[in-house]
Amino acid sequence: MFIYLKVSDLFYPLKNPYFRLMSSHTIAKYLIFCWSFFLCTILSFSLYAQSDNEGKRRLGSSYFISNTTVIPEPGKLLQRQHILFENGVITAVGRTISLPPEAQEIKGDSLFVYAGFIDMANKTGVTEPEIPEKPKDFDSSNPAPEIAGIHPHYRVSSHFLENNPHDKEWRQLGFTLAQKLPLGKGMLPGTSALYTYGQEGTNNLLAENQSLYVKFSTVGGVYPNTDLGVMAKWRDLMQNARLYKEHETRYAVDKGVPRVEKNPVLAALIPVIDRKMPVLLETSDELDIQRALKIQEENELRLILTGVNEGDQLLPTLKERGIGLVLTLHLPEDKFSESSPGEAGADFESRKERVKAAYQQSLNFAGNVEKAGIPFGLTTKHLPRGDFYKNLQLMIKNGLSEEGALAALTVNPATLLGISDMAGTVSEGKMANLLLMSDTLFSEASKVRMVIADGYVFDYSEKTDKNKKEETIWEYKAKTPGGTSRGTWKFSRNEGKWTGSVTYENPEGSGTRTAPTRTEEINADSMRFSFSVPVRGEDLEVTVSGTISGDSFSGEMKLIGYENFPVKASKKDKPERSNEL
Amino acid sequence: MSYKLLLSGLLLGSVVTTSLAQEGKKGDVFIRNAQVLTVTNGLKENTDVWVKDGLIHRIGTQLEAPKGVPVIDASGKYLMPGIIDAHSHVALESINEASSPITAEVKMEDVVDPFAIGIYRALAGGTTVSHAMHGSANAIGGQNVTLKHRYGTRNPGELVMKEAPRTIKFALGENPIRVHGRSKNLQPRSRMGVEAVIRNGFEEALQYKRTWETWKQASEETKKRLAPPVFSSRMETLVDILEGEIIIHCHSYRADEIYMLIQVCKEYGIDKIVFSHVNEGFKVAPELAAHTMGASVFSDWWAYKFEVYYSTAYNAAILTKNGVITSINSDSAELIRHLYHEAAKTQRYGGLTDEEALALITINPARQLGIDRWVGSIEEGKQADLVLFNQHPLSIYAIPEMTWVDGVNYFNRAKDAADQRLKVDPEEILEPMYLHVNHNNCMRDVDFYFTGFGRNLFQHSH
Repeated sequence: MFIYLKVSDLFYPLKNPYFRLMSSHTIAKYLIFCWSFFLCTILSFSLYAQSDNEGKRRLGSSYFISNTTVIPEPGKLLQRQHILFENGVITAVGRTISLPPEAQEIKGDSLFVYAGFIDMANKTGVTEPEIPEKPKDFDSSNPAPEIAGIHPHYRVSSHFLENNPHDKEWRQLGFTLAQKLPLGKGMLPGTSALYTYGQEGTNNLLAENQSLYVKFSTVGGVYPNTDLGVMAKWRDLMQNARLYKEHETRYAVDKGVPRVEKNPVLAALIPVIDRKMPVLLETSDELDIQRALKIQEENELRLILTGVNEGDQLLPTLKERGIGLVLTLHLPEDKFSESSPGEAGADFESRKERVKAAYQQSLNFAGNVEKAGIPFGLTTKHLPRGDFYKNLQLMIKNGLSEEGALAALTVNPATLLGISDMAGTVSEGKMANLLLMSDTLFSEASKVRMVIADGYVFDYSEKTDKNKKEETIWEYKAKTPGGTSRGTWKFSRNEGKWTGSVTYENPEGSGTRTAPTRTEEINADSMRFSFSVPVRGEDLEVTVSGTISGDSFSGEMKLIGYENFPVKASKKDKPERSNEL
Repeated sequence: MSYKLLLSGLLLGSVVTTSLAQEGKKGDVFIRNAQVLTVTNGLKENTDVWVKDGLIHRIGTQLEAPKGVPVIDASGKYLMPGIIDAHSHVALESINEASSPITAEVKMEDVVDPFAIGIYRALAGGTTVSHAMHGSANAIGGQNVTLKHRYGTRNPGELVMKEAPRTIKFALGENPIRVHGRSKNLQPRSRMGVEAVIRNGFEEALQYKRTWETWKQASEETKKRLAPPVFSSRMETLVDILEGEIIIHCHSYRADEIYMLIQVCKEYGIDKIVFSHVNEGFKVAPELAAHTMGASVFSDWWAYKFEVYYSTAYNAAILTKNGVITSINSDSAELIRHLYHEAAKTQRYGGLTDEEALALITINPARQLGIDRWVGSIEEGKQADLVLFNQHPLSIYAIPEMTWVDGVNYFNRAKDAADQRLKVDPEEILEPMYLHVNHNNCMRDVDFYFTGFGRNLFQHSH
């Protein structure tokens, strides 16, 4: 299912014992075939390189992280290690490897290297599929399956935008691989797929038809409309998928049987009844888990539950039945820890204590799952990015071990997704999905320095060096009596000194003009600069000043001798610096 | 029956029939010196009831209390069988699958909510068994579930009364007409349409049964020219109704529609049917007595829509005097807390005896649910679902003090804490004062899509 092009594969024939039985001539022919394939590949890459004027393609694909601390898997820590990865695959980990001449070195002496995180049941970058229109004589009691949200034959890969900004942001937190779920309002939105968060512009699809996504939800207004209908519909679908398979089997051997009318919905369910594909079932509370257990019991399915946030007393059953668990990282909000007691009476207080206890129970849950001996994964679904490390730390403070937390982001999801042979640990032969931290993962001050996904290096280290070159681009909008005026401000700092230029709409004609800026005062929270606009032979002095909050600027544009106009600007995303050390 | 076996055989043993239902807890208790209202065997004064392993072990006077068993002194107090509600929607997450005129395939067992505080409130009113029903949006609704109020479990399966036979909800009259006919332009648009929907359903089920029998009885040689039939749990359920495996509980008000369904059932050989609400039941009492498993009525609830204007508080008494197995139900999370008051009203309106009035909320609903072998009266060998009142339960001053299910004490007024919830939302927004209103009624989940716009669609509840 997965194809790696590794240099070592080209020598594979030599390692193959059957080759001993071949004549040297045959071996030579085989090698020539392999090498010419390799050269063609190289050639096509170099042709592409000529038009790669944006510098997006990596210059070399061989990297060497030197003298670093490696946490190859949860609970293990190795010091003074080198890691070599080539073409997206880790080719060596150890103390005695030497730096190959073609490899670029990443100095790892102050870094901690972890396996890249794996997100499960993720939906960012996925769009909702188009659903066919309801016909004029529509019967809501018997809708076409797609209209009822029953489209297990849809694949998320047809509705996933690989270059979406969210995944890049999650990558910046350490995620290198994700299970993408299809969207859809009904009970069977489709099948999931695995993607790596590697370089944009490359095909990052790792596997399709990865699991069947099932939800206890409905489109509304048609059958099925509630959990009652969903459960009944599911039972019918399972039985009819079996009958469909039987029909296909009979038809395959005997064409006297009436032909099988193709039914993509039932066909998509056959891998599930054959236990070849797991069901990934979305749950929102423990009653959903109870329903899921019923479904599993009735059909003997391979089952993974996602969104799990409660159900302590069900853990022994879940473990016994080998049901996979994906816990939500989206913890409830703490509503009452800070409130002062005694304001609203004893009854209010006792109810408040119960809410606090319930909140505490939610925090304890991950630790309890670990103690129950169930290896679980995590999903970032509905989680604001800023809460990711915060919530992990909350789980750890409330009973989850640090090893357990790391496992839940690496080895456990790899097992649940059936990709332990390619991801989850830092070891030879695995995908080069790595997370380089400034300190151990869960220490407060620890920062993400680099993330390596699919062998592509993404550098997130903060440039503390004042003399380091920095560049920012702003897009502004000024409200003037003549309408809205737009343009950009571009600043760059070199050796501690700012220089800049402004583009603005030509007041004397069409098009835009550019002018250099002067007297720049640029800080983290404010900005001030001026520039000249030549109008009819005279220079009009313009001063811009205002405050910066995050990526937005708000202030005014002052035309000396005229009036002030409000101006707003937003910082454009910095071009990401992949493969640049 | 054999057809069912054949079918399950065909499906390659894929349907595992074991369920998550677990044995509920069973308790021991010795209730001393009570006024025992047995319901089936009169009032036994100053009598002891010994409960052992969840069952009524012995009833007698001067019994010796066994060691280690909690003893309740019930001197001057009244012990009656746990109250049974033949029509309830308490402890359900969803009530209506209102998307089709027939939804016989859906099962209320799939949406039992053990956290519903209504269970505890029902226990506080002496109700130990409720018939958790599908709503009345569809001509043929879902399969109901009979619950024992074992409050405290987090496992929905543990609330289910395993011994209870299968039952199903039917609904006649205005509700299915409004939901499907008026809102979605489907059948039924009139009472005639309701009958047609039910008849068509039964006819289709008979065809379905024949199709499957043909397939199952076909030799391998014949099968080479056949395609496997389509499975439908909806049709399966209708076939089971026709074969007498499921008791129909039918929401109905008017005499004409009640008589209509009696005729339809006779035609299809169905004798397991109970009519619910039955406000005009007094007009067809002899027919109900002759052809049905009875009527489950309100004591005095009517006029909330057009089809419920012709009503009387004498309904239960008239039905009882005509030999109809009659029960009084709640259909409400509020009424379920004082069904003993509702039963007492039949003494004011119709002069029923104590025994007749108590039967309306105990042995009669048990018979209608097919569980009278296990519950509904105080008899040796029956399950120990009991409620102890401070006074005679038909007195307006009566207060339930303790309630047992399977000999386990689930309600004790002396130990009744202010907050009996099993589960609390960690993000619950608290107000210093709050009133929580549960809307568990016949038309819940019949949402926007199915109600359409118009007068009085959201107000009435049955």
